[in-house]
Amino acid sequence: MAEFALSLTGLHARNEATIQATQDWERGRIDSGTLNAAFRADCDTLVALQKEVGADYISDGQLTTDWQDFLRPLTNGLDGVKKGAMVRWYNTNTFYYTPIVTGPISGNGDAIWSKVHRRFAKQGNFRISIPDPLTLSDLAEDHHYGSKEKLLFAYADALNIELRTLEKNGVSYVQFSSPALVARFREKAVSKEGLGQLGEAIRAATKGVSLRTGFHTIFGDASHYIPGIFDAIPTDDIGFDFTQTDPDSLSPTKKGIIAGIADARTTYLESLEELHGKVEQVLDRTGSKRITIAPSSDLRYVPRVSADAKLRRLGELKRELRGK
Amino acid sequence: MAKTFPTQEIGSLPKFSWRTKPFRQMTLDDSDLETAKRWGERMDVPGTSRLLKILSKRADFSEAEKKEIVDFSLLYAIRMGETAGRGLSQHEGLDLVWSGEQARTEMYETPVSNIGGFEFIGKVRSFDNKYWRMASIRGSPSYQNNYHVEELLFTQKHAKRKVKVPVTDAITIMAWSDNHYYTAKWAREKVSPLKRSFNARREFTLELAKIIRKVIRELIASGVEEVQIDIPAATQYQSVDDMKLVAESFNETTKGLSATFSVHSCFPPRLGYAILFPQILEMKKCERFSFEYGNRDGYGRGVDDEARSGFADLKLFKEYGYDKGLGVGVLHIHTDKLPSVGVIKDRILYSAKVTGLDPEELYINPDCGLRTRKPEVAQRMLDLVVAGAEKARGDSAVK
Repeated sequence: MAEFALSLTGLHARNEATIQATQDWERGRIDSGTLNAAFRADCDTLVALQKEVGADYISDGQLTTDWQDFLRPLTNGLDGVKKGAMVRWYNTNTFYYTPIVTGPISGNGDAIWSKVHRRFAKQGNFRISIPDPLTLSDLAEDHHYGSKEKLLFAYADALNIELRTLEKNGVSYVQFSSPALVARFREKAVSKEGLGQLGEAIRAATKGVSLRTGFHTIFGDASHYIPGIFDAIPTDDIGFDFTQTDPDSLSPTKKGIIAGIADARTTYLESLEELHGKVEQVLDRTGSKRITIAPSSDLRYVPRVSADAKLRRLGELKRELRGK
Repeated sequence: MAKTFPTQEIGSLPKFSWRTKPFRQMTLDDSDLETAKRWGERMDVPGTSRLLKILSKRADFSEAEKKEIVDFSLLYAIRMGETAGRGLSQHEGLDLVWSGEQARTEMYETPVSNIGGFEFIGKVRSFDNKYWRMASIRGSPSYQNNYHVEELLFTQKHAKRKVKVPVTDAITIMAWSDNHYYTAKWAREKVSPLKRSFNARREFTLELAKIIRKVIRELIASGVEEVQIDIPAATQYQSVDDMKLVAESFNETTKGLSATFSVHSCFPPRLGYAILFPQILEMKKCERFSFEYGNRDGYGRGVDDEARSGFADLKLFKEYGYDKGLGVGVLHIHTDKLPSVGVIKDRILYSAKVTGLDPEELYINPDCGLRTRKPEVAQRMLDLVVAGAEKARGDSAVK
């Protein structure tokens, strides 16, 4: 009998009040205190919604200006890295600033933790999504290491210090989001050796920490890596964006599955029947004992009202799945 | 003999506060009127006394007055292009001008407001605290009216330089919209998820292309000779099929039309413009690709690969044997930090060197539209485009 969980998977859309506050703040109409209050209120609403729909891990939606892009806390918070040119974030109409690596990457472990709404972390089921080492090393412009492998492990080591801080402060779940593994130029897959190396980097990033971890492949087709990914990546859960990856390509595993079944890139609201069908496929193919139903990626690519509707629908699905 | 390193703007220019406030039900203050007066004098805008008279009302403008305000805004934008370089170069003015998209909300919202089948659903964040108002497609898109012809006619009437009209393409409208209708349509088809999502994108795009074609056909009939197809989203989807779709969409849009067509795109993913090759070369009627490069470049002098690393992707055109025109984005438009005229000149000369194209085929422009900059910065950027091109002309002539 499988256990069903529900979780968000990354940055959440800001609500209209927060959007207005950021625009007012940029125009000098409100001060930082008022802006921060808007983010706090936004975050409170999102947390309440997650509790209402039965989310098993609670996210703060990473709703602060520190997460202006998914890499920014690490770009700004690690020594040896600075902000470079603005570049498109994979197949979205959103952008990030390129991390420029100018020296040895190091940090005191506070780059992520200092950007979290900390009041939720002590509740025992707080989760956070961070970029995986491959995404970081792929997107960074390296002026120091001279080797992709060295850069990959430099980021992994820096992430390990971050994870230790997160665990110490009560964070229960860390998800590595990895568009880099699957959203690749001309769909050219990473080699088996490359996947193994990424697995070692994740092992380095999670060394000495016991919180639950996941590795979610977003924006691309992960079928090239099945079944190898289950053995190669040493996280508790492996995630798939099922708007891109065919559930029929899955294979049996003892790992948990993050089932990205709700299309995070459109407001089209899948019926319970459609979503249920996908979960059945995942169960049939993997035999996994733990399925986390989730959006295909962050829910920041649609307006907030639609993002919340997706979350509510997943809540309905979870109730249905648990009822059976 | 054709001019070497001709200059152009890409599309949008900032809107003055006296242009925006009346539409936000805000009251104008002294500084708004002073701005209108100062810039009017600075750019020799004709008829500004009429504008000042309208603005002196400060609030509660009638619809007719608002229309006049927009018209003046178009005029100011035309003059900004035509006076670019004043005080910094011997000869002022861009070679190709537009009216700064002053009559448009912006490049996405205006078309989707005028194409049937869309509903606005809320704001989505693009980067930092910048958002766009997303529309959702809820049925087949349909032509409703020509949303650019009025501004074109006005611009043509008042511009002293050659006019180029920018038009947002189908791929971009598709990519920035919520593809609700076609996602639902394809949701239950027994194909792979990848194919399903691609088919939803393709069907939506090609339906839009037919509408954009009709819009452009009417613009051409109204006398415009040059059309810039804006495809910032050309670099958004990165599969081979999607790259083919970018070209297919352009070819569908321009099918049966006769004009000079150029393409603008910007801000590609980490891999740069390489993702577009070779498929974009299938855009048979494209005479010029105007891309952004200044964003990734350094501020130091030099015309070697290291100094001009932001322009490395220009080599792709030579590698693939491209021999038509290019627009070279020489100014990063998301910062107020400006390079020197010398750096602009170096960027231009480097571009000529690595593309091997005749200087007549290399248009010089900012990376992208300047709508996010303050007017002072936008003007300065256009000044740098004109002055940098002039300096490059001098140097290339010597060599």
